[in-house]
Amino acid sequence: MTMTRRTLLKAGLAGLAASAVAGCNNGAAARGEGEVIYWLWDSAQLPMYTECAKVFHEQNPQYTVKIEQYGWNDYWSKLVTGFISDTAPDVFTGHSSKYPLFADKGQVLPIDDFVAKDNVDLSIYQKGLADRWIGADGKRYGLPKDWDTEVYFYNSAFTEAAGISTEQLNSMTWNPQDGGTLEQIIRRLTVDSKGRRGDQPGFDKDDVKVYGLGYADAGGGDGQTSWSWYAAINGWKYSEGEPWGTKFFYGDPKFTDTIGWWRGLITKGYMPAYAQAKSGVDVTTSFGAGKYGMTPNGSWMLGTYGGLKQVKTKLARLPIGPIGKRMSMMNGLADTIWAGTTRRDASWAWVKFLGSQTAQDIVAKAGVVFPAVAASMPAAKAAFAKSGWDVTPFLEPVEAGDVFPYPANPNAADVTAVMTPAMDAVMSFEAEPASLAQANDDVNQILSANA
Amino acid sequence: MTVTTNAPPDKRRTHGDVAAPPTRRRSLGDLKVAMIFLAPATLGFVVFYIWPTLRGAYLSFTEYSLLSAPNFNGLANYERMIQDSFFWNALVVTVEYVVLNIGLQTILAVGIAMLMYRLTQSITVRAVILLPYLIANVVVALVWYWMLDFQVGIVNQGLTYVGIDPVAFFGESQWAIPTIAGINVWRHMGYTALLVFAGLQMIPKYVYEAAEVDGSTEWKTFWRITLPLLRPVLVMVLVVTMIGSFQIFDTVAVTTQGGPINATRVIYYYIYERAFTRFDFGYASAMAMVLFAILAVISLVQLRLLRAKESDLA
Amino acid sequence: MRQQFNVGRAVAWACLIVLMLVTIFPFYWMLRTALSDNTQLPGHPNSLLPVETTLGAFKRVLGLSTLEEAQAQGGSGAAVNFWLYLRNSLIVATVTTVCQVFFSAMAAYAFARLRWPGRDKVFALFLAALMVPPIFTTLPNFALIKNLGLLNSFAGIILPGAFMTPFAIFFLRQFFLGINRELEEAAMIDGAGHRRIFFGLIIPMSGAPIATLAILTYINSWNDYFWPLLVGQQENVRVLTVALGVFRSQTPQGGPDWAGLMAAALIAALPMIILFCVFAKKITNSIGFSGIK
Repeated sequence: MTMTRRTLLKAGLAGLAASAVAGCNNGAAARGEGEVIYWLWDSAQLPMYTECAKVFHEQNPQYTVKIEQYGWNDYWSKLVTGFISDTAPDVFTGHSSKYPLFADKGQVLPIDDFVAKDNVDLSIYQKGLADRWIGADGKRYGLPKDWDTEVYFYNSAFTEAAGISTEQLNSMTWNPQDGGTLEQIIRRLTVDSKGRRGDQPGFDKDDVKVYGLGYADAGGGDGQTSWSWYAAINGWKYSEGEPWGTKFFYGDPKFTDTIGWWRGLITKGYMPAYAQAKSGVDVTTSFGAGKYGMTPNGSWMLGTYGGLKQVKTKLARLPIGPIGKRMSMMNGLADTIWAGTTRRDASWAWVKFLGSQTAQDIVAKAGVVFPAVAASMPAAKAAFAKSGWDVTPFLEPVEAGDVFPYPANPNAADVTAVMTPAMDAVMSFEAEPASLAQANDDVNQILSANA
Repeated sequence: MTVTTNAPPDKRRTHGDVAAPPTRRRSLGDLKVAMIFLAPATLGFVVFYIWPTLRGAYLSFTEYSLLSAPNFNGLANYERMIQDSFFWNALVVTVEYVVLNIGLQTILAVGIAMLMYRLTQSITVRAVILLPYLIANVVVALVWYWMLDFQVGIVNQGLTYVGIDPVAFFGESQWAIPTIAGINVWRHMGYTALLVFAGLQMIPKYVYEAAEVDGSTEWKTFWRITLPLLRPVLVMVLVVTMIGSFQIFDTVAVTTQGGPINATRVIYYYIYERAFTRFDFGYASAMAMVLFAILAVISLVQLRLLRAKESDLA
Repeated sequence: MRQQFNVGRAVAWACLIVLMLVTIFPFYWMLRTALSDNTQLPGHPNSLLPVETTLGAFKRVLGLSTLEEAQAQGGSGAAVNFWLYLRNSLIVATVTTVCQVFFSAMAAYAFARLRWPGRDKVFALFLAALMVPPIFTTLPNFALIKNLGLLNSFAGIILPGAFMTPFAIFFLRQFFLGINRELEEAAMIDGAGHRRIFFGLIIPMSGAPIATLAILTYINSWNDYFWPLLVGQQENVRVLTVALGVFRSQTPQGGPDWAGLMAAALIAALPMIILFCVFAKKITNSIGFSGIK
């Protein structure tokens, strides 16, 4: 008994020693000089970027790309850990809400010199996209690789049953007082458990089976897929600089009126209560289960909506507002280079390739996102058409120039930390829209403190 | 408590081992041996506990973003903490959680232990009760997040079946913390129950027999005899579980991320947010120091108050 | 007396059964969800049986399904090297347990059985380490591991826990305190030094609590998430709990692959359950400590 126990313990110690030795070797795993580690979060985009990596390697045999994909939540925490521990990937997909902070902390590499040296043509991208990746300090941090806008995804079976025509859906109007024809349509699409519609007598707003409009959350500071376009067509701007502002305007009546109207839909029974919207089943899955008539969402979700087998989804343009036109937020992703990378040339070569038409044609054909290069757009349109989508509603605001940028800011994390609870409180009726003025003061205080 | 064994004492003589006279050289002689025995544990303790704590204490007086060197800024972090409404909210929320969690868990654990003690010695029952502990915290949180979902969770389906309106367990401010407390009770009650059960087994039978002879009822026996005799075990369980409870993180990170609004933004999660997503590690360290101080005070108070060292049986 | 007892017993049994059902039901629910078609799940919330029974989720977890199959079921297309992660978890948990239990036993013996100046004060200091918020120790430990060049290695994951935990020392000390002194003294008179007493007497007699501690340590190490997430990102050292993250939300607006997640959770828990079944008697009989002094 003693002997076996002793042997076991000795074996354990030996194991520890061995693993320590093995561990040291693992840590210094041999990585080729030309090997670039690349991270992205969307699993749906993995196949097309794998294809890009293959073509890239064929064109540049001295470089290889190793792609790693992590889910959205883990992606950012792993990235931050990587920054801290000097083990971040060489190139990673950046987002407007995060890259300014990284730039501020010196974690992403400015590419101005590379762009100048290689004479990269920035005019091939959609209007305004390339400049989005110029940070608050005036330096460029990435080449755009895709873009997105918002539209309404609606359940075509419901709209047919409600007698709403496609023309009506694509010519909606809106104003913060009575919601325009948009609210009329939402009302018509709402059905209570006894089958009565929102515009019929006896409609029971406390017992609704199908909500006319769905939403995922209160939107935080950006409201990209929840309220951003209402505020914009009401004449509101996030801040005085677009996008780099020194103060925000969340207290402006144009904004609080918009939120007041949006929240009012819950009171009237056309939108689910905040608690229901925030439950574990996301808005798209609920839509697919027939609980919502319409949900606004971004173009990157086309694939997900396409996968909803029980619902035939169609697209409707955003409404025309008091300023007389439609507007949509236009955002886009770009690949950014980690400032601590030891393979600068390889990384730049990969970023340049991803921003080139060759790569974007591959992206376009996959029919998952819209490529940033304007010339690749027809291929994308065709690919989406093959899946049954007419993506014109997404394109129109971009072509008309009626777009506004994501409210990027180096202090985005702090702003979100104030605005998300504030908006949550308003949407769950624990605070009034007027309370957003106070939240705005807090936000501006943070910005001036960190200026 | 004595342990008897049938093995005869070791009679083998060993070379080189000098038989030390039992009394005189004991105090110093033991120190040398003790140091050998303690060496690895002390190494681990100093390197992985003491040093980080000291470094954390130092960092609490700095402004530190983790990406560049720390900047000493004196008491600024602590001053900011006093004004920070999120911090006070986090403390309140955490205390609320601890009270609910520990209260419910201890009551249930004692209850289950008593039931096992009086009803059955079956291994199966004990094994089943311990089962939740085998699953990782994050998994438990996800499973219950799924089961308690407002729209498709089975619990709400059951409630509507019985005629009660569905409850947004994670979506409503007043339900969020009790729900998280409940989930952790589910995971830990079996383990805690077994600890108490072991304590129950230590109480000698003659105490119960005496009580029965005196005509005591079950209930009275429990309150007047069993509970007091369980005191050392209960105190140990309370102290350890309370410390763990204050550090609740996994469940919140996986389910509510501090929401809805700020209802579940417990202190530990707030510290993590500040450190990792807002690059404010100096401030996070300051809050961690305060948390440490609070835990130390509470544990000392508990141990004092409940006279942990004594046992009514001795 | 007998009459009342039967009613009381019945009620007591009812309570126990309810508690056991509450304990077991989530496990059944995990199984039911894991065997369901992921895309059909939200449409059939009341069904107590799996919805459109399929093994798709298990295939995704074990890395046996193709990209198209996985995405068709609403899951992530990321590769899952299940057996690799299982191996990694095994290595981490085993080495951690063996080392931690051994070193903690040595320390516990020093605190329980040896007499030396300042013993109780040092013990109190060790106990105080229980109260240090892990966030405190995590970051500096991370920096230390990085400086040692041990990131993404097994040593890096294992080291902080390999030497001791306050709980392990406390636990074993309680038991060692209860061992009969006479045996020890007899051995000493016969000329046995502390080393021989420790290995030849104390350890064999403490089989039950040591086994219990070993199993508890194993479970905790197996289920550890945050530290391996920080230190062990690369494939070759990623453990099961960290790998589970693959099944969580893939896009900002998306929800998790519930069926895959439940399947992964079940499979990740399986080794623990097997271990438990083998050692069930030992654990449940000796959880706890005899002799609180």
